[in-house]
Amino acid sequence: MADTITKRVGRAGRGVGSGGAGRAAPTKASRVGHRGVTLAAFAIPSLLLLLLINLYPLVYAGFQSVHNGDLISVGDFVGLDNYVAVLKSPDFWNSAKFTLIFTICGVFGSWLLGLAVALLLRTKIPGGGILKVLLLMPWIVPVVVSATAWNFLVATPQSPLPVIASALGQPNVLFLADPVLAQITVCVFKIWISFPFMMIMISASLAAVDPNVYEAAAVDGATSWQAFTGNTLPIISRSTYISWILMTIFCVNDFPTIFLLTQGGPVGATTSLAVLSYQTVFADMQTGPGVAIAFLMTLVLVVVSVILYRQIRKVEVE
Amino acid sequence: MTQPSGSPVTRRGFLGLAGGAAAATVLTACNSGGGGGSTGGSNGGGGGSSTPLKFWNMPWGSTLFLPTDKGIAEAYKPAAGMPSVTYQQIQWSNFVQTFSSAVASGTNPAISSGGGTQAFLFESQGKITYADNLLNSWKSGKLYDDFLPGLIDTMKTKNGYAAVPYNLDMRVLWYSKSLLQKAGVAPPTDWSSFENVCAALKKIGVYGYGTYAGAGGYTGQHNLVAHMINNGGGLFDANHQPNCVTPENIEAMDWVLGLVKNGYVDPRAATYTSANAQSQWKAGKFGMGFDTGGLAQNLGGTFAKDLVVTSPLVGPSGKKGALFFPNNIMMYKKNPSQPGTEAFATYYFENMAPLWTKFTGIGPPPLKSIVATKEFQSDPNAVKIIKEWQPISKTFGAPGQNTVFLNVTTVDATPAMNTFTQTILGARSSAKDALTALQSTLKAQAKPNG
Repeated sequence: MADTITKRVGRAGRGVGSGGAGRAAPTKASRVGHRGVTLAAFAIPSLLLLLLINLYPLVYAGFQSVHNGDLISVGDFVGLDNYVAVLKSPDFWNSAKFTLIFTICGVFGSWLLGLAVALLLRTKIPGGGILKVLLLMPWIVPVVVSATAWNFLVATPQSPLPVIASALGQPNVLFLADPVLAQITVCVFKIWISFPFMMIMISASLAAVDPNVYEAAAVDGATSWQAFTGNTLPIISRSTYISWILMTIFCVNDFPTIFLLTQGGPVGATTSLAVLSYQTVFADMQTGPGVAIAFLMTLVLVVVSVILYRQIRKVEVE
Repeated sequence: MTQPSGSPVTRRGFLGLAGGAAAATVLTACNSGGGGGSTGGSNGGGGGSSTPLKFWNMPWGSTLFLPTDKGIAEAYKPAAGMPSVTYQQIQWSNFVQTFSSAVASGTNPAISSGGGTQAFLFESQGKITYADNLLNSWKSGKLYDDFLPGLIDTMKTKNGYAAVPYNLDMRVLWYSKSLLQKAGVAPPTDWSSFENVCAALKKIGVYGYGTYAGAGGYTGQHNLVAHMINNGGGLFDANHQPNCVTPENIEAMDWVLGLVKNGYVDPRAATYTSANAQSQWKAGKFGMGFDTGGLAQNLGGTFAKDLVVTSPLVGPSGKKGALFFPNNIMMYKKNPSQPGTEAFATYYFENMAPLWTKFTGIGPPPLKSIVATKEFQSDPNAVKIIKEWQPISKTFGAPGQNTVFLNVTTVDATPAMNTFTQTILGARSSAKDALTALQSTLKAQAKPNG
């Protein structure tokens, strides 16, 4: 019997069935090759789609950035002139400065607020579920609606915040018309829009923490602050770095938050690089310099993201 | 994008993420519709076509505008062999991208309205069919002579007429009858009396120079240029090149700076949207202000009845002048049938009167026959605008030209003009410095043959 089975297995291995000789079973190498073809067949349509959707516009944008065209015609090849012109422009550096301020405020402001709310929500509060949904509203509501609401809050002397400021003895607080206050207003608006995202990220991390960790810390005599800095922050550090990377990308690329509230004004005080890029392409009709700004933004964004990503790796190793 | 807990973020995965973000960033600024090499030259030539013509129009008025306008277009019965027409309304939001993408990809309409300078931008790129033939065909009938004096010529370029005037976007001085009465002053007649009225209004807590230059609000820019024109100045010379730093312009901007410094201008005006400005009119905080001819209709209700258009102010040099935008209808080179397009254009201009007689909120009409209707004559403000403001108004091309041309696109709702306006309304620099900065930017952007 055993011999029969061995023979059958041997025949099967050679591709010889009970009916006689057939095709030999594939070798390991040919199986791998076959599998590769199958996988490639599945992957190629998606890859082609990705190439069409991402690579073509990217390459075409690169092409535009070295030409002096407009929205309709490509124009003449100008080499790196657009990049040089952009880097020499004071508007670019002013916008870069504001983008940096906006990003730092957006990332760390929303993280701090999100962390505070996430920690607060760990405690049992009556109606906590409803509160969580309400806290998500700034993230959920379309930016157009939020911007209109914020305009209502701060724009005119009859708006609620100027009225409050006036009641506190500051009748002429120009939330949008003063360049510095406009920058602060836009940054606060961004923090308000973004903190629910941070809250979700941190809440998810905190949910995974074993309560015994805190109990052990308490038994060891740790204060609340020591438990927070010694336990909570290290535990959520990985998700924190990820959320910082994502929020950095969101902030640098953010166009509607600024454009809808101030359109980059007053006198360019809140013009970020994304807004400057848009205005250069669509208001000044200068596609080359506008796309060059976008490419420079991308370059900086990738560098910053890589640095933050390395930090994540470092945390993993530790 | 969020990673499940415990799942490692690989370098490859991260680079994929970064690459995606990079592409998204770049795409923000490169929505050009691709191609770029479209010649757009498939003009229908002399024959007819069964392909319907696309007519794109903008929301020029209130909600009543769309059904009225659509009804006019859909009532068009083409002659035998001529194409029919499909109607589409294009929103103002991102309209430049909408039209540019359509022209670049060859999916543009046969005929459209659009931004006031749009036809001249496309004309410079060879995408426009000149209206000379159409206008000549109107000379044999009543239509050509029906246009308000000088209006058609504002569309003239060195190669032909880029478009046909459709409606007028005027900048005029409005005042609140009740607030001026309360302040005990008569409407101003010149710059000096304007300041006096402002001073009287200030005493009752009202701003005399209502304006706005915030997100999406370009009227503040227009008003500053209007004051320059009022003083015999403007932004361009006879060769279509920017010429901003002139004594007339400096004097006009010094006048506005004086209004700002005296507290006659709301300090928030530089960042007001049109909605903010309207709320200030409604709140009784604006007693006077330069705005569009449709301000009263836009405010509606009791406010509309309280607002009156003054006669144009006399400037320090004894001149009158204002800014207007001859909004227009243009025909595109790439269309199914040029004769069909011109036939529809003729029909449309001959039958568009209901847009005004039904009070759809569109700016003043270009045709004398519509001005003469009893419905139009029933609005004293509209009549005053046509009778007193239109004849003294000039285009952005002033003082060099009273036409629109390519370089005008560098000042029409551009960041340079926005910064200039917010600088003046915020009194952040002297008139000469602000004009010099504007001149420098415009000179860098202007085309030599613009």
